[in-house]
Amino acid sequence: MKFIISIWLAAVLLILTTNVNADNDNQTLPKLAEPFIAPDFTLKGEDGNTYRLKDYRGKVVILNFWATWCPPCREEMPSMERAWHQIKDKGIVMLGINVGEDADTIFEFTGQYPMTFPLPMDINGEVVEQYPIRGLPTTYIIDPAGMATHRAVGSRAWDAPEILQQLEELKTKSR
Amino acid sequence: MLKIFLTFLLTLVMMFSTRGIAVELTTGIDAQAQLPYWQIKDEGMSLRLVQRLPIQSRAFFLARGFNKQQVERIAQSCVFQTVFKNVSHEAEQPAPLTYNLREWVISHNGKHQGIKTREDWSVEWLAEKVATPVQLAFEWALYPTEQEYKPGDYNWGMSVYDLKPGSKFDLKVVWHQFGKAHSTIIKNMQCAEDINPEPNEAL
Repeated sequence: MKFIISIWLAAVLLILTTNVNADNDNQTLPKLAEPFIAPDFTLKGEDGNTYRLKDYRGKVVILNFWATWCPPCREEMPSMERAWHQIKDKGIVMLGINVGEDADTIFEFTGQYPMTFPLPMDINGEVVEQYPIRGLPTTYIIDPAGMATHRAVGSRAWDAPEILQQLEELKTKSR
Repeated sequence: MLKIFLTFLLTLVMMFSTRGIAVELTTGIDAQAQLPYWQIKDEGMSLRLVQRLPIQSRAFFLARGFNKQQVERIAQSCVFQTVFKNVSHEAEQPAPLTYNLREWVISHNGKHQGIKTREDWSVEWLAEKVATPVQLAFEWALYPTEQEYKPGDYNWGMSVYDLKPGSKFDLKVVWHQFGKAHSTIIKNMQCAEDINPEPNEAL
């Protein structure tokens, strides 16, 4: 009798715990089933500098594709900026590739949403077409060997401890 | 003893039976857009469709570089803001979700038709020699025709129903998750009327 009651209580507790966890947001970066070599690119940035993906070999790269008119892109930008301040000196690079807009549009946008990480411009969509992307924002994580290993579709809280830890681990694994 | 065991079993069955087996539909006024929305939620997915006024589409696509005739064609085609999420990380078993808008069916006045996808529009823009950056903005603003979402993934974009403003219709939504196809019909959806809200009204 005591045994059955114990099992019953354990089952109820387990189910209730699952329900509590259901309210938590998922702040992890899903792993790609088939990692692929990240296509290289050379793009001019909104700041006038040139950005080439290959130059970041040996580092973890957060490659985010976005546009100023895209609501979830705008939603995640402040957390990207906060994350950037925490990771930039740790061998992790953040590139926010703007899709289809010009420097003036991006400059105006950064007046409202301060972004200090590089913003390469894919004005004609030639780079976004090389990646398997169907919606904005989409972010690929590229490991130090140049392999795209993780993908996030939709916005994330980039300064969430779980994500920062995942990025750190990727960097450490490569050593 | 048997009574206790049966009570235990019944409790478990009741707890699991209340957890996302039936598709839950909610409708109302979206707090941000101040326009009607339809939302369905199942164990591993959530889909929210919010009306977009033709005037909103005009403003958005004129700013992207389309001409007035093209903008009018989009604005009069029944556009919904669409947010489709894989929320299976909130369920017992996280699982990928896939969909293809070509499987969705719009039923209107006894006729059935598909959603007008990016690819359908692209044929028109190519024929009209619309500039590449303009086409690009349109393509990315529209909801992806097909997609795979890992737990926690989602998109946000416009879906186009190719109906006149104010039209009423039913929408059959199809998605694939937990190793099988799921579908549900959202009844009595309505395209936004072609109205100009007062300046102080939120869009």
